Amino acid sequence: MLMQLTLGGLSQGMIYALIALSLTVVYRSTTVVNFGHGDFVMAGAFLSYVLVVLAGVAFLPAAALAMIAMFVLGVMFNRGLIRPIRGGPHIGLALMCIAAGYLLRGIARMVWGREVLPMPPVFDMDPIFVGDLVITGDAVFIIGTVLVLLLLFFGLMALTDLGKMVQAVYQSPRGARLIGLNVDRFNDFSWGVGAALGALGGILVAPVSLLHPDLGASFLIKGFAAMTLGGFGSLGGAVLGGVLLGIAEQYAGAYLDTALIEITAYVVIVAVLFIRPQGLFGRKAVVKV
Amino acid sequence: MSQIMPSARQRKMRTLLFWAVPAVLLLLPLATNPYTQFIANGMLVSVLVTLGFTLTIGNLGQLAFANTAFFGIGAYSSAILAAKLGVPWLLTIPLAGAFGALGGFLASAAALRGIRTYYLAIITLAFGELMRWAYLHAKPLTGGTDGMPMPRETLLGISLTDDTLKFYIFLAVTVLLVKATLNLMRSHFGRAVMAVRENEIATASLAIPTARVILATFMWSGFVVGCAGALFARHVGHVFPESFGMLHLIASFAMVLVGGLGSVLGAVLGAVLLTALPEYLRAFPGMEELFFGLIVAGVLVAMPMGLASLLRRVSPIFVERFYREAP
Repeated sequence: MLMQLTLGGLSQGMIYALIALSLTVVYRSTTVVNFGHGDFVMAGAFLSYVLVVLAGVAFLPAAALAMIAMFVLGVMFNRGLIRPIRGGPHIGLALMCIAAGYLLRGIARMVWGREVLPMPPVFDMDPIFVGDLVITGDAVFIIGTVLVLLLLFFGLMALTDLGKMVQAVYQSPRGARLIGLNVDRFNDFSWGVGAALGALGGILVAPVSLLHPDLGASFLIKGFAAMTLGGFGSLGGAVLGGVLLGIAEQYAGAYLDTALIEITAYVVIVAVLFIRPQGLFGRKAVVKV
Repeated sequence: MSQIMPSARQRKMRTLLFWAVPAVLLLLPLATNPYTQFIANGMLVSVLVTLGFTLTIGNLGQLAFANTAFFGIGAYSSAILAAKLGVPWLLTIPLAGAFGALGGFLASAAALRGIRTYYLAIITLAFGELMRWAYLHAKPLTGGTDGMPMPRETLLGISLTDDTLKFYIFLAVTVLLVKATLNLMRSHFGRAVMAVRENEIATASLAIPTARVILATFMWSGFVVGCAGALFARHVGHVFPESFGMLHLIASFAMVLVGGLGSVLGAVLGAVLLTALPEYLRAFPGMEELFFGLIVAGVLVAMPMGLASLLRRVSPIFVERFYREAP
């Protein structure tokens, strides 16, 4: 029972980890928190649905196409809407992200109305039985994909200069410019990667859940909860926070009350901010007077 | 800031103008049909919602998403008090405001722990979602997805379903709260609120307890919006959880921005302009989201300080000292 719950939590948590990571990528390199990110996740899920069900493309190429499309959308969003108001107050930037999210949601609802769409199962394999543990194809698929991706991501960050570039742009865009980094292009790139990774979260979750235009809102909160738990702005913390949140949800649902699954994330946010605002891996902010 | 301040004569004019607007509005029911009267009542509710919202995001400069939650708290507490405890609706307005203020306290209590900006935004977002979950799951109290109807009631022998009677009550409450907010923002406290927005550390160095200022602003915002919730409950006659969802949030953002961030006049303008339009869009799924999304994005790029900033250029009468000038 405990193992089964942990496995379920792990596969949910991997999705949250991916969403929290994609939020952190954008935050770390542009200092903008994308409050419309949930709708980027939703857009990824819908794009893969369109390609798989309506256009008849196989799942893997459809997922790749959807991610590329979302990468382009992320870049376009940064260039067209974020860059013109970069110098303004951070409230403006947050509101712009919210507006973009609603635009995506509006488009999705215009096309699908108020329907709820099921996606055909992608990874149709017989469940594996290990003792009394049931491992479904979906779980293997989600956990496997995200693990490979995380290895790739953190490998790139550690082995190439990319990690240092992110840090440089985060600490001082001006300083980064001085040493010859093209900060504008770097921001474009980060928005693209953030949008594509978030979309992948949606693509992975599509086969195991029902699709509707409002599905992004809850993923946004879960992404934030994972970030807050791991330490806002910490890439590794976001991943670990996501996994822990996924498992905590399953435990709370099984041992306390199923209605609690939905609000575990909120409780985590409130509890962490009151007890340990810097999260598990964040550094305490120092205010200089 | 090279803002021209109004002269003494213009300030007198402004006071006159302030009271002339509601005085003229007293005659409005003579010129409306039942439908336009209903819309006018909705506008008054929106004015209060926008006013409360602009206080936290415009004047205090903190990202806050809990506005819709305060609205819902106000509406539900009014409905519960009226339907379950038999409290006369008129009396539930200040009580709903008090519950809204309590919501404001809970949503921003983390400020005492040094939580600001994005963290505060996230905790208020979580608070809003938590409230929505509560409306749906506290079935015995809120009626769950079915919502709860407002009880029939009469006032001075007139049924409270009468839109003209409601209009006069709404107008009185709105004028009272707008005036109170204007006075509050002109007081020592109001200046502290705006000082926190400009530079919190410098404000703290003047021995102003900034965390408490943040809390108090959220509570006043919660009070205003909570009262609006009580009006809304009577306005539509039935409280549903969907009324306090994501669509209401983006609509509030749009009203604040179109009018002008941090401007009381702007709150009134934005609310009046954007209340009626969506009624026509409701028939087409997704259009409301697109409409408000486009408005918010468009205003941010083209007119960051909203309509109030255009009026200020016309005459110094419209100058308030509550907002930040565009950079």
